Amino acid sequence: MVYLLAAPLVGGLLVGWDRRISARMQSRQGPPIFQPFYDVFKLCKKENIVVRRSQNYYVALFLVFVIFTGGLFFAGSDLLLVIFALTLAAIFLVLGAYKASSPFSFIGAERELIQMMAYEPMVLLTAIGMYMVTKSFQVGDIAGYHGVPLVFLLPGIFLGFLYTLEIKFRKSPFDLSSSHHAHQELVRGLTTEFSGRTLAMIEIAHWYELVFLLGWVYLFFASMPILGVAVSLLVFVLVIFVDNVFARLKWQAAIRSAWAVAAVLGFGNILILSLLR
Amino acid sequence: MFGLKQSPWVIHYDASSCNGCDIETLACLTPGFDVERLGVLNTGDPKHADIFLVTGAANEQSHAVIRNIYDQMPEPKVVVAIGACACTGGIFRECYNISGGVDTVIPVDVFVPGCAARPEAIIDGVVQALAALMDRRKAMKALGKNVDQVLYSRAESADAARILSLQKTAHQQEGTIYGEEHVPGLVQTLPALEVELTQRVFIKATVNGRLVGVARGYAQDRTGFISDVIVHPYFHRCGVGRRLLEELEKALPDMNRFEASIGDKCVESAAWLQRQGYELYKTDSWRPAIARVYFQKERK
Repeated sequence: MVYLLAAPLVGGLLVGWDRRISARMQSRQGPPIFQPFYDVFKLCKKENIVVRRSQNYYVALFLVFVIFTGGLFFAGSDLLLVIFALTLAAIFLVLGAYKASSPFSFIGAERELIQMMAYEPMVLLTAIGMYMVTKSFQVGDIAGYHGVPLVFLLPGIFLGFLYTLEIKFRKSPFDLSSSHHAHQELVRGLTTEFSGRTLAMIEIAHWYELVFLLGWVYLFFASMPILGVAVSLLVFVLVIFVDNVFARLKWQAAIRSAWAVAAVLGFGNILILSLLR
Repeated sequence: MFGLKQSPWVIHYDASSCNGCDIETLACLTPGFDVERLGVLNTGDPKHADIFLVTGAANEQSHAVIRNIYDQMPEPKVVVAIGACACTGGIFRECYNISGGVDTVIPVDVFVPGCAARPEAIIDGVVQALAALMDRRKAMKALGKNVDQVLYSRAESADAARILSLQKTAHQQEGTIYGEEHVPGLVQTLPALEVELTQRVFIKATVNGRLVGVARGYAQDRTGFISDVIVHPYFHRCGVGRRLLEELEKALPDMNRFEASIGDKCVESAAWLQRQGYELYKTDSWRPAIARVYFQKERK
């Protein structure tokens, strides 16, 4: 329940913070910290233009399933179920973009699918790695695990997970499907054909997703809570930093590098872990 | 109005500018001026934008693009013309391919003069556009609440720009069916409409001062020709069109019969005309590949 109410607030503030830090990195003053909330309130007041009405229905389902995913996670449920719910949510967004049948949102949707292919293996390996250490897929058990923090046994998986975060947040160098910056080859990619309240729903879903993914970063440090929160925030700053430093990669490079990371860091870590036991 | 004022997203289009105003417009986004501190985002997507910044005069090539971007923007939206060329046509005004400022194509809310317009002036223009944006929003809200209090009256020459804006919205469906260049209502310019306003009978429907529908017609040989009945899409199926047609028929008193013609693929309009007592009486080809159907009605 706390998650349902607090996540959009925290997520929105984090996004505001993101835009502020990005601006400072480019020696600009940047918008107010509450800017994402202003944006969403404004979007709710705009006319909702659609190509087909059903596209909004898919986006609503996207929001519902993202909230459901985060709810499962923070309720301490099964990590595998969480991953499947997250994938389902992402698929609904892709379907919505396909439904709009504009060439821009179409290519955006295809790239989003490629990005999902890129990050899924590493996300699954993360869950498996956590299971190997704690002997449980339950988020509740992993969070309550009293030993050395998971990150010391799963350093490779932690780094690999950071790599997937870059993809999942759609930040440079992996903002292939939809970018927050103007003037690019796909207009707005995935979100091109959404406007008004529907676009606001996508924004809010991203806030929920952000909080949920940072929550997952926290799991790596679950036995040291203060350090965990600090590292989660640091990871977020790192993602912003990388966003500002790198140009966009091609989709081939995105999928190859993500799978290479999953194979070397993720699988390698699990291999070493199983040999040590 | 929370939110609307703090988060204006702009889309920028170069109609035929020499790039002077474009550079100054984009300079607003740089660290020196940083309009993002006012919440301004430069978006490449008309469907996400609130403010349309146009630089350069409108020429034959850019007409369709300007109109297209404007039509794709969700309400409430405002247009800012940046620089002398966008305001009036500037030094290109007399050119064979230039129709004048951007206001010859779409309604403009704020004019930012200058050659090139300075970034300070552009930011000021955007801030002024915010006030216009709020007015638009208020008008939109008022519209939703007052459907039953529609005022019907003769249109005047001062209404030309608003009628033009309305007909560009209302004829979208025909534009999709036949292509925009074949729909007279979509290719008409402001000067042409001003001339038409002096020659034909225009009846307008307004709600809280905002134009929601227009009917136009003219008399010839004791026949009243109904050239156009348009209603804003928000007000379809509210009886606005029926009342407009009645008022127009009243405004053409000495006619024995009335005649209206539409494209043969406009099935909905045809069904509507038949509901108003008009009967199909002939079909001919108006332009190659476009057939036109004619409806008539005797005065009782």
